[in-house]
Amino acid sequence: MSSYDHNPIVEMRDIEKHFGPVIALNGVSFDVRPGECHCLLGDNGAGKSTFIKTMSGVHKPTRGEILFEGKRMDFASPRDAMEAGIATVYQDLAMIPLMSVTRNFWMGREPVRRVGPLKFMDFKTANEVTMEEMRKMGINLRSPDQAVGTLSGGERQTVAIARAVYFGAKVLILDEPTSALGVRQTANVLATIDKVRKTGIGIVFITHNVRHAMAVGDRFTVLNRGKTLGTAQRGQITPGELQDLMAGGQDMVELEGSLGGTV
Amino acid sequence: MKTLLKTMAATAVAAATLAGAAQADGERYVLVSHAPDSDSWWNTIKNGLALAGEQMDVTVEYRNPPTGDLADMARIIEQAAASGPDGIITTLADPDVLSGPIRAAVDSGIDVIIINSGTPEQAREVGALMYVGQPEYDAGYAAGLRAAGDGVGSFLCVNHYISSPSSTERCQGFADGLGVELGNQMIDSGQDPAEIQNRVMAYLNANPETDAVLTLGPTSADPTILALEQMGLAGDIYFGTFDLGENIVQGIRDGVIAWGIDQQPYLQAYLPVVVMTNYHRFGVLPGNNINSGPGFVTADALEMVEQFAGEYR
Amino acid sequence: MSEAMGTIDERVKETSRLRRALIRPELGAIVGTIAVFVFFIVFAGDSGMFNAQGVLNWSTVSAQFVIIAVGACMLMIAGEFDLSVGSMIGFAGMSIAIMAVTLGWPVWIAILLTFALCVAIGAVNGWIVVRTGLPSFIVTLAFLFILRGFTIFFPQLIERQTIIGGIDRAAEGDWLAPVFGGKVFGFVFDWLASIGAIDVFERGTRAGEPIVDGIPMLIIWALALVAVAHVVLTRTQFGNWVFAAGGDAQAARYVGVPVNRVKILMFMFTAFCACVFATCQVMEFGSAGADRGLLKEFEAIIAVVIGGALLTGGYGSVIGAALGALIFGVVQQGLFFAGVESSLFRVFLGVILLFAVILNTYIRRIITGER
Repeated sequence: MSSYDHNPIVEMRDIEKHFGPVIALNGVSFDVRPGECHCLLGDNGAGKSTFIKTMSGVHKPTRGEILFEGKRMDFASPRDAMEAGIATVYQDLAMIPLMSVTRNFWMGREPVRRVGPLKFMDFKTANEVTMEEMRKMGINLRSPDQAVGTLSGGERQTVAIARAVYFGAKVLILDEPTSALGVRQTANVLATIDKVRKTGIGIVFITHNVRHAMAVGDRFTVLNRGKTLGTAQRGQITPGELQDLMAGGQDMVELEGSLGGTV
Repeated sequence: MKTLLKTMAATAVAAATLAGAAQADGERYVLVSHAPDSDSWWNTIKNGLALAGEQMDVTVEYRNPPTGDLADMARIIEQAAASGPDGIITTLADPDVLSGPIRAAVDSGIDVIIINSGTPEQAREVGALMYVGQPEYDAGYAAGLRAAGDGVGSFLCVNHYISSPSSTERCQGFADGLGVELGNQMIDSGQDPAEIQNRVMAYLNANPETDAVLTLGPTSADPTILALEQMGLAGDIYFGTFDLGENIVQGIRDGVIAWGIDQQPYLQAYLPVVVMTNYHRFGVLPGNNINSGPGFVTADALEMVEQFAGEYR
Repeated sequence: MSEAMGTIDERVKETSRLRRALIRPELGAIVGTIAVFVFFIVFAGDSGMFNAQGVLNWSTVSAQFVIIAVGACMLMIAGEFDLSVGSMIGFAGMSIAIMAVTLGWPVWIAILLTFALCVAIGAVNGWIVVRTGLPSFIVTLAFLFILRGFTIFFPQLIERQTIIGGIDRAAEGDWLAPVFGGKVFGFVFDWLASIGAIDVFERGTRAGEPIVDGIPMLIIWALALVAVAHVVLTRTQFGNWVFAAGGDAQAARYVGVPVNRVKILMFMFTAFCACVFATCQVMEFGSAGADRGLLKEFEAIIAVVIGGALLTGGYGSVIGAALGALIFGVVQQGLFFAGVESSLFRVFLGVILLFAVILNTYIRRIITGER
């Protein structure tokens, strides 16, 4: 894998995050390199959300450091992280369903034509770029005025990903992008992840579904009770082992046996 | 959607025919009041209007601003003028707001009679035929003189319609009649019965030396009666009120209320219709303004009042 | 799931150009407007509702609704309510009256200071809402009482009455007052009267003058506010932020939209609209009363909802709100022309509101794919 020749874009070292008496993260180390898809796995409550929020500048770590392209960074806000090139696609908050695809795509970074004091939105450019970027991701929109609400869940995630890519993200954090999707839509999103990876963007793919992770992941890190249980390369680990790591022990095997199949 | 439209149209048609049933082919008069929908006192006016319309065989309509907003009332007068009636009967609650639209109506050839609020002078100024009503300040002053004669020196004025200047004039007139400063003796009670009751109780608790209570109509009088009963002051404290209503009449009979000032609103709606119809049919017009009040209603001679309280009295 | 997707796509492709042009947020209001006019042309066509005076009457009433509906619409799209609009109208009028009449300041200073004061109060409203995260419903409800209370208290304290008149006399010769209380295009009406198209006064000092002598500035303000708000909302970057702030504040924040600033600005704009309403009213009638503007906040919200905006924010149209206000005004005044008992007005209003909301919900679902 060529991606290992590169230095990490983002490196998180021994991150701890305390909320009052609660220790949400207790020494997590993680990095992502250009062109790789690094999967972060963990069961509910393992600390995945807290971790990515720390990475994207929503939370400040209590201890530990974040290196961005080798330099130490302190993100004061999500805006800082975003400007540095860390884009996050949240599961539910990715898109505003009532607004059109174009309006969503450009939200916060609208192309403007100045006329006096007013900043008019340049809808011609905006619509063209939106249609083009969506086409690149394999989605043919009926119209750029189409409300996001009329798109399927997978398409919405794709719009959010296309948006992040277009605006120059170097690292893309995807928070459970497949958790609420059907089979075919999941496949579409995973294909999109693959396309984006090939452009040299580092992807952090958060999921609790081992099969989805195995489908696109280059490396896998498992988080359990606020700690990393280690990082494995593709081919060095089986889905069963990953599943067991996530559950934090051998219980899964027994449970699976009693249920008569794979969970 | 279609069914909804149909229902809507059907309702509208039904409503239109309902109103249309009252129409005769005679003259058409519109009465515009300043009272909000919640003011039940105006029911007498509506009844007087309807009866006069029936007896004179003319079409009558009653209109009011739902919230009592006088700016809305000005629009209603303009609109009444646009619909081209033979005459408009209206109150003059605020000359600044209403004189423009009224004068425009007069100038476009519609006869106007001012009732209830306003003064004879103001009525003449806007070009009205006449004024029918009870001058508010004078009525308050007369009541004040009467109370002073009964030994009253301080009072509480329960003002449930603080935004109308005529309400304040009643309180001011009463204070002047007593020969005392109005000062803080007028409270803004709001229109809600429970609130009025509590504010009256709060005031009387805070000012136990108060000699008298003056209310400005059934809206404030009814809860005040309850407040006094609850405080054990009913029949003890001197209690006078403007206007009549069922509870007020009962209060007068029970001795809780010393007197009610009757401005006889029935006449304020009935007479203008009669006067205008006769004017338009035969060209005859009384030579002066008509004072419908004040008349003091006391425990004597209550029978007639009692029978028609809230309806025609 | 995938099959369902396929069928949706096919159906989507079949939608005709006409259908796409028709399905828009304003559709409900457009249908309603047409229905209302047809209704009144049938039932009140010869009652004076459509002569010059009648048209001016319902246009003026509608224009009043439009002015406050535009503000309420922008704010509602940004995801907030302002229940203090009605009280703000009373407060602004009283403020102008006290400054211009009681204090004797030039009217233009009174107007400008009142605008500054109202917009500042709007900013405070907005600031409290975004800072505390409380529902704007509650915060502005508090201001509904606070402002109304002051509107009754101050004139009573200063003038011992709740109505202050004489503003028209104070405003004579003022340069700013006619911008709110004046009338324009009078010459058109002179000409119309001269060819007998509209009636003239029969008697009095204005005998021979046309009954309608110009278009009130109130109507000009309403049209201007609709035009400006519509362009800002649909064509500018800021407009996109307004939609985003109301659609999903958190999602908007994540992509860097200054949601708090947008919301506060919209509260200020709503206050500005209320102040325009109040100034026009005060300049036209020459007096300010403590009861002005009662319940106007609900009338504004009703107009906006008839116009197709979503109560929870993020969706709506200024044009729709303006049509909603027109429907409201025409129905309110038109029922009288049609000879309908006035107490039935509320019945009509309720029916129209229900009808509009059901239709709008249906249209919105088609557009946004809401389920």
